[in-house]
Amino acid sequence: MRSLSRIGAVTAKEFIHLLRDRRTLAVVLALPVLQMLLFAYAISFDVKNVATVVIDLDKTPASQAYVSSYESSDFFTVVGTGDDLAAVDGVFDHNQALIAVVVPSGFGRSLAAGEKGSVAVYLDGSEPTAARVGQAFSTALNQVYSQQVTIRWADAQGLDVTAAGQLEPRVRTWYNPEKRSSDYLIPGLMVVIIMVVAVQQTAVSLVREREQGTDEQLAISPMRRWEMMLGKVAPWTLLAFLELAVVTAVGMWFFDLPLRGSIGVLALGAALFVFCSLGLGLVISAVAPSLETANMLGLLLSILPAFILSGFAFPLSSIPGWLQVVSCLFPARFMVTITRGVFLKGAGLAELWPEIAALGAYAVVVIAVAIVLTRRRR
Amino acid sequence: MTTTATAPAIEATGLSRRFGDVQAVDGVDLRIAKGAVFGLLGPDGAGKSTLIRMLATVLGPDDGDARVAGHSVRRASEKVTPLIGYMSQQFSLYPDLTVAENIDFFAKLRGVPKDVRRTRMMKLLEGMGLAEFVDRQAGKLSGGMKQKLFLASTLMHEPDVLLLDEPTTGVDPVSRREFWRILAGLHRQGTTVLVATPYMDEAERCTEVAFLESGRIRHQGSPAQIKALVPGRLFEVTADDPRAALAALQASVDRPSLPGLLSVHLYGDVLRVLLETDDPASVHAALQAAGIGAEVRPAAVDMETAFAFLAELGTAA
Repeated sequence: MRSLSRIGAVTAKEFIHLLRDRRTLAVVLALPVLQMLLFAYAISFDVKNVATVVIDLDKTPASQAYVSSYESSDFFTVVGTGDDLAAVDGVFDHNQALIAVVVPSGFGRSLAAGEKGSVAVYLDGSEPTAARVGQAFSTALNQVYSQQVTIRWADAQGLDVTAAGQLEPRVRTWYNPEKRSSDYLIPGLMVVIIMVVAVQQTAVSLVREREQGTDEQLAISPMRRWEMMLGKVAPWTLLAFLELAVVTAVGMWFFDLPLRGSIGVLALGAALFVFCSLGLGLVISAVAPSLETANMLGLLLSILPAFILSGFAFPLSSIPGWLQVVSCLFPARFMVTITRGVFLKGAGLAELWPEIAALGAYAVVVIAVAIVLTRRRR
Repeated sequence: MTTTATAPAIEATGLSRRFGDVQAVDGVDLRIAKGAVFGLLGPDGAGKSTLIRMLATVLGPDDGDARVAGHSVRRASEKVTPLIGYMSQQFSLYPDLTVAENIDFFAKLRGVPKDVRRTRMMKLLEGMGLAEFVDRQAGKLSGGMKQKLFLASTLMHEPDVLLLDEPTTGVDPVSRREFWRILAGLHRQGTTVLVATPYMDEAERCTEVAFLESGRIRHQGSPAQIKALVPGRLFEVTADDPRAALAALQASVDRPSLPGLLSVHLYGDVLRVLLETDDPASVHAALQAAGIGAEVRPAAVDMETAFAFLAELGTAA
């Protein structure tokens, strides 16, 4: 009972701090949404409007139809046409285009004969990412186009259309890259954002008590350390939890993120994850000698692991073994699995219980470490 | 004051604490009777804060122990803390919380019941002239008001022993007097007060004082006892040229030309001269020989002079 009233006193006090500090409050409330929008647009694996030059040497209705398929695509913007191959060099040299598509003469004749029409696609290799993606799209376009031709041809021959090729799944895979990229990104991104905000807030908390001297007054009160830690973490858990809800809502409305799995599991995971991040902040706070150091450490230990060691940017299976072990020191990797599982795969407790359990264990350990470290400072 | 038969409020034995190469507190033995207003004096860096922080259980001793309000700070700090109030040298409340919020928060932590909190707080604040500032943020109070608020906050759980680390440093003279008026009230109620101060006029108001230097207690006793430790007679010299007079007299210390001159100090424009004899004729003579016109009259030893001379005699011995 006494414990509860003391934890409540600390929580109420932290809320007052928060409400009086308008700037921090504004930052804490607005930043996640802003970051979400910014990052989701900036960090994108999508490539759009790749500058393209088409050189049609065939000039038949078939070749013109093929070329127009580039013009009507979102991924290519046809910035020019040419009459011979030499034009390609000039275009690349002047950075006018990254891709040049050359339709050789005889293209229309080959198609009409039911043969494979060949097309040359030149890429400017000096911009590898755009070039590689451009290549992929161009290949896709070719496939779709040639299959359309095949289908049309098959129709004319009175054959079974579905037997002519696996048209549908291919179109979906290749033609929906936008959606696929953001769907994959946003569940990870919300983890990164919440982690950065949460770690940062508690990282300065104990240091501030030390700098104000209030830690001594707290030390001579009957309050125990775990009571203080819980009291400090409670209001932020609530706040970070709210933020996660807002970020989820933004993801669903702005980026059409599907929510396929159990909201309950997501909420449980989120609560645990937020608690873990706050605990990590307290650990930083317990060892940092000054507010500046606490801020720097908080930023470093939240952003880096959240980006690199969570599976957000790179699959965890692709990082070295020892780094995989290090990644377990940060709660983000478990939460990314949970958000992706719930949002994209429709997973529930049956699939995600190991991650939930890991976060629960992490929460206990991290608070214990924070308590031990603050005690050691005396 | 009847202090016999009852246990002392504070009893330290061999209390020591080191910071790196600095022995901040070096084997302090201290006995402070219940109900005393005990002044801890000494220059900056003498170890006053370290000593008080150990007694307040916020700092662990390297060696030795102390019983505060009957319990060991080493082995039973959780029994000490409910019985003490501690004001650190730095203002240690939340600047963004109001007066009432600060007091209420710490009182709640210390388990002061809700119905008692409000009335006790208002009584304390009224007694300190802070009642009208209940809803002002602590950071927006003046220095003197901050210290009074801090004191009010440490009094909410009615501690038996108050440990105050330079509570009036940086506070204006009027507020200082006001602060001591409050301490006098607590003294009448029987609270034991240990107060560190750099101000010698405040030392005069204590029932007992100790002079701390380099982590050790050099002198201890009532203000009268401390002053009685000063040997000889004190004279004040007002000269046309005080600096020349100081130089002339300093040159005569331990010389046969001016026998019995123990020490000489300049306070503002006045020289304070400590002589072994009751007759200042030799001082007159020395100054006349140096061609300095001066007036010499006997003076009473105050705490400030006492400690200046004791410090000097201590280092000379």
